[in-house]
Amino acid sequence: MSSSVRYKVMKHLEIVKQLQPSLHYETHAPAPDQIDNEHYRAYTRMSHDVGGEPDVPITWEEKEEEVWEHNTFVTCEVLAWRGVWNAEERRRRQNVDVGQTQYLGLPYYGRWLLTAARILVDKQYITVTELSDKIDEVRKRYE
Amino acid sequence: MAEKHKPAPMVEEVSEFEVLEIAVRELAIEKGLFTAEDHQRWTEYMHTLGPLPAARLVAKAWLDPEFKKLAVEDGVKASLEVGIDWVNSMPTQFGTPSDYCNLRVLEDTPKLKHVVVCTLCSCYPRPILGQSPEWYRTPNYRRRLVRWPRQVLAEFGLQLPDDVEVRVEDSNQKSRFIVLPVRPEGTEGWSEDQLAEIVTRDCLIGVAMPKPGQTANDPRPVRPAVNPYHH
Repeated sequence: MSSSVRYKVMKHLEIVKQLQPSLHYETHAPAPDQIDNEHYRAYTRMSHDVGGEPDVPITWEEKEEEVWEHNTFVTCEVLAWRGVWNAEERRRRQNVDVGQTQYLGLPYYGRWLLTAARILVDKQYITVTELSDKIDEVRKRYE
Repeated sequence: MAEKHKPAPMVEEVSEFEVLEIAVRELAIEKGLFTAEDHQRWTEYMHTLGPLPAARLVAKAWLDPEFKKLAVEDGVKASLEVGIDWVNSMPTQFGTPSDYCNLRVLEDTPKLKHVVVCTLCSCYPRPILGQSPEWYRTPNYRRRLVRWPRQVLAEFGLQLPDDVEVRVEDSNQKSRFIVLPVRPEGTEGWSEDQLAEIVTRDCLIGVAMPKPGQTANDPRPVRPAVNPYHH
């Protein structure tokens, strides 16, 4: 990487790093002249575009799979098999549309699962009421 | 860290994820979007997946220079020789929705080491390698591998001399990769079965190198599931 490109990338990451705390600044809905191109690019960065971001070493772990995680993966693939969505749409929804907070805050398959629920509502296969009624019904089975 | 994420003991509470998963699956079946049998067939297909076909592909390539040439030129065609059909695979007969059919086989040399990541997502050659490990999906691995590959590889126990070039391949929705490592010394005269045994999942991702006598990934902590799925 050339030094000028490196500088731009590091500066971009530096701004991205500050976006969340900037909720405390007077930056809400700025006037056009209050936002420069570097900030524009930082704000329009996709939440899944993490390659090259600084981070500290962690312990590499293997993980047992939860039953719901396995079933979620299968449900998402079968929804694609039967034409409800395709993999591009699934990825955009679960990697980008969820937003930064859910992207970093939820478990990997948690994002898949939320997205599977949302696609059924968004494409009007089910109503929100049907979903919440079903959730209540399932929860009662465990009481 | 592991302690912090454990559910509170004594409380037998179903998680919101478990509830939502059942709700979504049952609604999709009730609305006729797919059948319970579709779901079951996909689960059975998942049970057939694992790193063995990719390990066999590497072993074959080590033994047969013509096959190695084919593997590097056309990974999808070479996969057929180890029983993996990317294009017409079960259960859809048109491949899996999420893996497409472009497998690249990255050939290491004594002076070149490949390692695979998916910075944007967690793309992984599932049909020939099974499900990705959790660490491969972490933002941490995806963040750091492309910028500090030598450090990350060292954390996996792979210390590479400075004169070995490291090439990080970034997967995407259309292209998937496995690493064809250098055949290690001490394996002269070995059969395909013997060779395949030392080609672990980690070797195929590129964070380890095959060694005679090592037939499993390096041991790591395992985060237990609350309600584990038994494969």
